[in-house]
Amino acid sequence: MTETTILALYGLLVIVTLVLQATGAMSQLGLGYLISARDEKRTVSGMSGRLDRALGNSVTAMALFAPAILLHVVGDSTSGQTRTLAMAFLLGRVVYLPAYVFGITGLRTLAWSVGFIATAVLYFLAL
Amino acid sequence: MPPELTALTLAALLQVVQFALVSVPANRELGPARTASPRDRDRMGGSLEDQLSQGTARLYRALANHFEGLILFTIACVVVTLSNSTGTLTAICAWVYLAARVLYIPAYYFGWVPWRSAIWFAGFGATAVMLLTVLI
Repeated sequence: MTETTILALYGLLVIVTLVLQATGAMSQLGLGYLISARDEKRTVSGMSGRLDRALGNSVTAMALFAPAILLHVVGDSTSGQTRTLAMAFLLGRVVYLPAYVFGITGLRTLAWSVGFIATAVLYFLAL
Repeated sequence: MPPELTALTLAALLQVVQFALVSVPANRELGPARTASPRDRDRMGGSLEDQLSQGTARLYRALANHFEGLILFTIACVVVTLSNSTGTLTAICAWVYLAARVLYIPAYYFGWVPWRSAIWFAGFGATAVMLLTVLI
């Protein structure tokens, strides 16, 4: 699997996360509120709150991960190493979501760290 | 330049416009002394966006929402270009995304229900389709 495909798969994972978050928000806040202009701020709690925070974190990770991949693909510096790091990021983020939703405390932080460190090393290798 | 990348450039410029649409009225409403401050909640009496007028707060939320959409759309455009998956479908999706994000601003500002959500969904769906074409 190429780095480009891994990036596309991560984009789809974020889309799935967003759909789950919206479903959770719909059950707690109601469709009427979601389609309104949301002038009054309402927050979700419990599992929907976890999905909300997981989505926020996934978007931050995406904004950092995408340039790291593009640097290597456009700069023609992809290698077995960058592929492994991209795969490690994706696997870390796949584990992160259920770890957050089901509140598996240590695993969530570990999965997040794997993704974060993989991204950092990708930047380091691009230099 | 492929149409997907043209649409992406315009979408990024739209974000610059959206930023101006928030920052100009926000500075007029709150004053530069507050907006340029470190915005400490205890000194501001709460968070900055809660003190904006209803219309400006809506434009602020539209801006925040587009950051999320734009990151995904950037990935979709670049990935279809790099993997040579561009075609009529991805070009249509890219223009649908751009049109949706332009319409999303008045839809939020004027509180078009349920059109704001429908417009948002059009942009979201277009992005998802673009990402899926890479895998097929």
